[in-house]
Amino acid sequence: MPTPKTEVHPLLSVKDLSVEFGFGDFAVRAVDGLSFDLHEKKTLAIVGESGSGKSISSLAVLGLLKHIGGNITSGALNFQSALLGQTVDLATAAEGTLRKIRGNEIAMIFQEPMTSLNPVFTIGSQMAETLALHQGLNTKDARKKALEFLDLVRLPNAKRLLDSYPHQLSGGMRQRVMIAMAICCQPKILIADEPTTALDVTIQAQILHIIRELQEELGTSVIFISHDMGVVSEMADDVLVMKASKFVESGSVRDVLGHPQKDYTRALLAAVPKIGSMTGTSAPKLFDIPGITAATGVTPNATVQSDEQPVLEIEDLTTRYDIRGGLLNRVTHRVHAAENVSFNIYPGETLALVGESGSGKSTVGKTIQQLVEPVSGAMRYHGQDIFALPKEERKAFQKQTQYVFQDPYGSLNPRKTVGESLVEPARVHGIVTTKAQAQDLAADLLKKVDLPTDYAKRYPHQFSGGQRQRLCIARALACNPSLIIADEAVSALDVSVQAQVVNLMMELQAKHKLSYLFITHDMAVVERISHRVAVMYLGQIVEIGTRQQIFENPQHSYTKRLLSAVPVLNPGHRPTRPPLEGEIPSATRAVGDEPALVNLRQVSEGHYVGA
Amino acid sequence: MPIFRFVIQRLLQAILVTLAVTLFVAFAIRLTGDPAVMMAGDSSGVTEEDLARIREALGLNRPFFVQYFDFLKSLVTGDLGESFFRGSVRDLIAIAMPSTLLLAIASMAVSILISIPLGIHSALHKGGLSDQFIRVLSLVGLSFPNFWLGIMLVLLFSITFPIFPASGFDSWQSLILPATTIGIILTATNVRLVRTQMLETLSAQYVMVARAKGLSEWSVIYKHALRNAAISIVTFLGLQFGNLIGGLVIIELVFNWPGMGTLSVEAISQRDYPLLQATVSILAIMIVAVNLAVDLVYGLIDPRIRVA
Repeated sequence: MPTPKTEVHPLLSVKDLSVEFGFGDFAVRAVDGLSFDLHEKKTLAIVGESGSGKSISSLAVLGLLKHIGGNITSGALNFQSALLGQTVDLATAAEGTLRKIRGNEIAMIFQEPMTSLNPVFTIGSQMAETLALHQGLNTKDARKKALEFLDLVRLPNAKRLLDSYPHQLSGGMRQRVMIAMAICCQPKILIADEPTTALDVTIQAQILHIIRELQEELGTSVIFISHDMGVVSEMADDVLVMKASKFVESGSVRDVLGHPQKDYTRALLAAVPKIGSMTGTSAPKLFDIPGITAATGVTPNATVQSDEQPVLEIEDLTTRYDIRGGLLNRVTHRVHAAENVSFNIYPGETLALVGESGSGKSTVGKTIQQLVEPVSGAMRYHGQDIFALPKEERKAFQKQTQYVFQDPYGSLNPRKTVGESLVEPARVHGIVTTKAQAQDLAADLLKKVDLPTDYAKRYPHQFSGGQRQRLCIARALACNPSLIIADEAVSALDVSVQAQVVNLMMELQAKHKLSYLFITHDMAVVERISHRVAVMYLGQIVEIGTRQQIFENPQHSYTKRLLSAVPVLNPGHRPTRPPLEGEIPSATRAVGDEPALVNLRQVSEGHYVGA
Repeated sequence: MPIFRFVIQRLLQAILVTLAVTLFVAFAIRLTGDPAVMMAGDSSGVTEEDLARIREALGLNRPFFVQYFDFLKSLVTGDLGESFFRGSVRDLIAIAMPSTLLLAIASMAVSILISIPLGIHSALHKGGLSDQFIRVLSLVGLSFPNFWLGIMLVLLFSITFPIFPASGFDSWQSLILPATTIGIILTATNVRLVRTQMLETLSAQYVMVARAKGLSEWSVIYKHALRNAAISIVTFLGLQFGNLIGGLVIIELVFNWPGMGTLSVEAISQRDYPLLQATVSILAIMIVAVNLAVDLVYGLIDPRIRVA
């Protein structure tokens, strides 16, 4: 017998929403005919890659589009306002009505915790402002209430925080403040726009846990905007997929992530590197995603034999940054960015250096590229001690290692053609001297990264992020290096683009016997691409071993913590164990206060773990 | 503690700059010619002995560094000595300095009153008709030589329509034309500064957050955005004020304003060493002091510097 149906009105019902930027012939459609319902106490995740229109849709709900130049050209956003006791169409409501709802019944958390708080006001006054506005509280009561909510998001020392300024807080703490600020009027709807994208994975786990708890406690509905399928799988009840400003599909999280109906969703899911998907294989594996990356017949290098001579041997490398202070400007503190770091990289091998922000992984890369001077330690390139060489001869080694940076937008000179940028390293090192040589090299490099050779005449702004990162890789190849240091090189890219660039890197490695030092915080990508993995914590390597050893048999508590914090793409699965609390400690220490050195002991062939 | 160090550092720098400037002033003045010749007047009957006597009387025959240290001492004690021709230097400066400060402050006030609202308006309507109009106007303002604008205002408002006095400093009405002239010139720069700073802060994410809280546009713009833009604007205005104190010479001459600029020019034309040394050095010290104050105020209005 069918259960009697009760008419359930969704809290928010979006119908045929279209948003345009600009007017007339110059109008660009950013959202095209989007419809969805958000029910009470439910979490709806809107997923898609950059430019899909997911953030724009959320700003439309708040009626804030006009401030970034957008207009709602059609559609209705019907919201059941308890405050006003009626249904309000947020697309057409008067500004005064919207202001009553904003921050009160519908609140929002933004992506960048570092810039979401106003730097010139204290945390307390920024929170009190909302409470005074919507609940008419006086300063004293508003502070009391603010304190309650800071406690609710588990901020330690909440009382002191009220009088702190944003710059005194870490990113994770700022995001908690932002959440406390958003929920302090107990909104019916909380919009979270990529709330954890800028945070470290263990901090991300904490923030997601807090949002889930608050949702249960306060009965808030959440619109969760994300590009991260793992996060979505852990957070959402329902999922809506967008692509290029259009609706693709929607449904329950189990249906959409478990049994996607549309090709795009399937491809998107296939491009997501999943931790554990490589269990049992020893060699890295190319992504094979129809419509995104095609198999090219190239097999990635198998695990490298360690009886070969290493390309690079790093021994007890220590790099510190001085912090000066006091009346006489003496060195009072040091950042122990890298302490006694030792590892080898073999020809044709990828060593992944993983860790969270402040772990010193980038410092190691920069020290190898000789962008910073180490305090002590040795670095041997094909057996030759680099730091023992005079300055001029060290330069010759520089061309053997090349750096690829995270930000593909900032690392190409906007005033130079792509061709000029590509051959620049070769020019600096005197490998090309004539114009004809330069043109040949540029064409050759573009071919290597699968880009048309006539791109050499164009300028960087004409390329997408993924193409630019290909160009950066091409430039790194200009001097025929044997080692490429990739510092978060794929972290800023959308998953489908990331999959392509990761594939490209593996193919280039197989073809040219390149070695990679792959510096990243993203464990899932590491599992795909690397032969061996070194885990860094507070400037020291705490565990190093083959990919299988680290992922299938992690020994150090930090490695385990890092792996368990990664959101798993397993629809319907909710992490139950609360994540470990606490901030990532700082590697800054007073002069004379030397850190305890981690002693690595061997647990199995090639697998070393810190005590 | 870092604040304390910062203050000490800036103070020491200020003292060094002052020493360097006064030394340069004392040295450079002596390159301009012999004041004894000037004092002796008509050169026909003047003998070498007459000149020597004058130099003796003025103390000009002593070694340069002795004269310089005397001058430094006089700066520290505040007893600035006698002008060659016009009595106590301190009395002269005590009259001229307030007039100059008054004119500088009035000009800044005119400029701030115009440029902050216009700059904000321009930023809020970026690309609109009023924004373009304001920007063109600012460009025109930048291209005017200030003395020319001063003369035009005098022609218009003192001669064609005799509303305000053309020169001197007899009443508050005398202040209107010179302050407006400088105010307009400063506004041309300041409008652009306010506009750029506001555009920058308005696009910051915390401004969107403020809107998402449900705050009124007024509160978003004047509290959240302007308070941040003010950090750079106040710094720039402070430096501008410092420059203005020393840069009023031409306008003071155009309006015959009895300020430090006029006094310095008179001292130059008469080779009045003690007076010139004192006016130029005191102007330099004022500029250094204002710069120092700006640095310290910057620390006060930006919590990122205040609370390290």
